[in-house]
Amino acid sequence: MPAAARKETDYPMDLLNTLVQGLMLGGLYALFAAGLSIMFGVMRMVNLAHGDLAVIAGYLVLVLLGGTMFPLWLVVLVTLPLFAVIGYGIHRSLFSRSLKAGPLSALLVTFGLSIVIQNGLLEGFSADTRTIDMGVLNTGAFHLNNQLSISYLGLLTLILAVVVIVGVQLFLSRTRTGKMMRAVSDDADTASLVGANSKHLYAIATAIAFGTVALAGIMSGARSSFDPSIGPTQLIFAFEAVVIGGLGSLWGTLAGGVVLGLTQAFAAHLDPSFTILAGHLVFLAVLAFRPQGLIPQRTV
Amino acid sequence: MSKTIVGGMDRRQLLKVLGLSAAAIGGASTLTACGGLKGSASGTSDVLKIGFVSPQTGPLASFASADNYVVKQVQQALAKGFTAGGSTRQIEIVVKDTQSNSTRATAVTKELITQDQVDIVVGSGTPDTTNPVADQCEASGVPNITTIAPWEAWFHGRSGVSGEGFKYTTLFFFGMQEFADCFTPMWKRMDVANQNVAALWPDDTDANAFRKGLTPLAEAQGFKMIDGGAFQNGASDYSSQIAKFKAENAELFTCTPIPPDFQTFWKQAAQQDYRPKLATVAKVMLFPSEAEALGKLSNNIATDIWWSPYHPYKSSLDGTTAQQLADGFAEETGNQWTQALGSVYSLFELAVEGFKQASDPKDRDDVADKLRNMNTVGMSGPLDFTKGPEPGIAVQHPVGGQWRKGTKFDWDITIVDNTPNPDVPVGGDLEATNA
Repeated sequence: MPAAARKETDYPMDLLNTLVQGLMLGGLYALFAAGLSIMFGVMRMVNLAHGDLAVIAGYLVLVLLGGTMFPLWLVVLVTLPLFAVIGYGIHRSLFSRSLKAGPLSALLVTFGLSIVIQNGLLEGFSADTRTIDMGVLNTGAFHLNNQLSISYLGLLTLILAVVVIVGVQLFLSRTRTGKMMRAVSDDADTASLVGANSKHLYAIATAIAFGTVALAGIMSGARSSFDPSIGPTQLIFAFEAVVIGGLGSLWGTLAGGVVLGLTQAFAAHLDPSFTILAGHLVFLAVLAFRPQGLIPQRTV
Repeated sequence: MSKTIVGGMDRRQLLKVLGLSAAAIGGASTLTACGGLKGSASGTSDVLKIGFVSPQTGPLASFASADNYVVKQVQQALAKGFTAGGSTRQIEIVVKDTQSNSTRATAVTKELITQDQVDIVVGSGTPDTTNPVADQCEASGVPNITTIAPWEAWFHGRSGVSGEGFKYTTLFFFGMQEFADCFTPMWKRMDVANQNVAALWPDDTDANAFRKGLTPLAEAQGFKMIDGGAFQNGASDYSSQIAKFKAENAELFTCTPIPPDFQTFWKQAAQQDYRPKLATVAKVMLFPSEAEALGKLSNNIATDIWWSPYHPYKSSLDGTTAQQLADGFAEETGNQWTQALGSVYSLFELAVEGFKQASDPKDRDDVADKLRNMNTVGMSGPLDFTKGPEPGIAVQHPVGGQWRKGTKFDWDITIVDNTPNPDVPVGGDLEATNA
């Protein structure tokens, strides 16, 4: 077995594995970034508490799992709309007020929210590392051969990322609410003349963003682990995915996530010390040479 | 427009109120930290003040989860006072939180020295705590003991001069030699195809110390370290490292990552079918919460155990055994023991011992000198500061323990290899992490 294992190692398969793992990692980044992208696209608001919200979702799932007899899938199904409702509430009570005072104020409010969340979670749940146990999803994989395996969780995350982004895109382009949202995003004052309630529409956008970030938090909580202070680390990759893809473009965010995932995977393949640096360099290169991002047209 | 400005004013006012209340709350918590302690008459020389610095909040908070309990135990044990410098003394413990931040650690240590005017500062929990605290004490000439940081990081990280050391600061823990002494006997007991040891070492101070320190020590024992590469902490994907370990068929595994990264790595290793026969990890899986988080995948992961309830040691203050300390902690807090319990306890034992040995416990130079030359036995077993690798360092000898399903708690440590310290009874056989 050991000798055989070494013989089976071949380079093209190694690269294929890197490609597959990079794609799945990109799926996670895209899923994370979707909510950030929606909020920026609709109301030009950068939510610095995005990563911390994902962490809250993880804890919410744990609390619901512990406090009820529901199975995990049901808890997840309850958590997502619950989180969307929380998002709606937070927008109406907090974000909409700060947006009135300009983008900088909104940025500071989310920064403050991030600190409040981190310390609140620490107080409530201690600094212990937690994960979401998805049973066989956590460790299971399709083992195609000795070198290539596709984990259930990674595949599911990638599929969810695509579904979420296509879904939100369809919502924005096909539904009445979605179209009004785009109108409000373009020109809130004019849109309000024809009866669009910008506060309500913005709050719906926040609700959608909260729903997607909850999903991202849950998938990431199963893939890795979380503790009260881990939010900002997750924010940075989501932020990079949004910028690489193009600010405000959902398709761009999907592309940005995948580009970031693939860059990190291939960089790690060459030398693990370049993994994160390579991602940052791509991000910088995009900012320097193509600041509008990969897919610049505003689809939101 | 004017509306916006009014709104802005309101908010500003609100922030002001919030800020004031936050300050008030902060102040109140500091008061509680000092309050409820014996001997509030801090001006009198009969009260000896111990300042205690640890990361009670933030990412390192797991290291401090037992702090409150230990402080209470020490206060109870010394409720009647003790004799030092010819008269009966009371102790007062002032607790400060570093918020897991080394800058903050420096600031609170300064506060302890200048405002609280403590007679000694003790501290615990990774070089991020021990080094700034020790530096501040050394600069201010205040006796200091810290623990839970590899001695190399504490000594070389503070530019200690070999053979000379520091005047006021001391440390008890262990270093690379002891890690090697702990891990290699377990590696040797495994039935493996080759001597390759996979090493997941990120690019940070701790891991680089292992890269430089453990590699030659392991090679001397016939093992070849397969370095997965110096990745950056917080990486989300470990496929390249896993591919390398699989290609080298490394059936032994060791690592020094940050805890969340290990969780990600270990799950991915299972997904990608890398199942080393024995995992001996450092820096992670120190706390039961990490084992709980990993669930079934924790089974038989081995790590270094420098203190456990099974260690045959007892308090030099009141004779409490290690087992009693752990049981009492579980009873009172409902939480499982952690290794920090014993280490933090010993910080106070040593401080009290330093006071007792000094002819005048208020004489900082005298106390510091006694600490540097201390040779004592307590909750952490024998600690000899005269025979350390460098002056002012006492070395502990961690034994090998494996995480297994527990009876009282979900996951518990079983001591499986006591080669480095035969005093610690073995609780079970060494088992393969992945059969």
